[in-house]
Amino acid sequence: MTADLGHGLTATAVPQALDGVYELLESVWGTHADVLPEDRTLFGIAVVEIAGNIVEHAAAGTELEFRLDVRVYDDRLEARFQDGGIALEPDAVPTELPDDLVESGRGLAMARAAVDEIEYVRIDGVNHWLVLRRRRG
Amino acid sequence: MDVEVDGSRGTAVVRPEGRITMVNAADLRSAVTEALDAGGAMVVVDLSRCEFMDSSGLGALVGALKAARQSGGDLRIAAPTVQVVTVLELTNLNRVLRPHESVEAALRDG
Repeated sequence: MTADLGHGLTATAVPQALDGVYELLESVWGTHADVLPEDRTLFGIAVVEIAGNIVEHAAAGTELEFRLDVRVYDDRLEARFQDGGIALEPDAVPTELPDDLVESGRGLAMARAAVDEIEYVRIDGVNHWLVLRRRRG
Repeated sequence: MDVEVDGSRGTAVVRPEGRITMVNAADLRSAVTEALDAGGAMVVVDLSRCEFMDSSGLGALVGALKAARQSGGDLRIAAPTVQVVTVLELTNLNRVLRPHESVEAALRDG
């Protein structure tokens, strides 16, 4: 089992941080040409959504930093987020898709549909998210 | 974001570029409002140059679709990239935002 440990960022949880997250993923794919396009696309969708969730719900307009580490394994892709912001209220974020013409509340449901696992735990005042996609092919 | 209105035909084409996320989703919504106000009731969003869309971008498209319908028009999407097709499918929004292969096809198709 090999893992690439070299891709991570610490950023302020504001909308513009999503650009940094996207560019981090681009740099990961730049050094891992063997990751299938389908895996890149679906993993990227979920990772950006969790980053957006941290901006919207954990920071919620307050000053907050988050940490993201991305690892590419032979059999899976993992992203781990940590932030010391507001705890996720289980009922605050919809986990099912809203009706077609509702404008918000799709993020987490879409992230869950894109990858194999989305885990959230809060330990000692810190939010931990894991995004895991098993590599196809 | 490029907005092109043909008032004589009552059509408009909105062309976002790059990523549509929480950062700039409101710009897409504003561009469609601008197109509707300028007399383009049939709005086509050309997504051929949109490399990435998140749920905020999808929300903006849904909001723009509703605004177009409330104005007596419609909103259609054209030439989405693989990433955009994927987010539409993951959220089942391809039911209400059916991709058309080109701007011309979106304007022509019912």
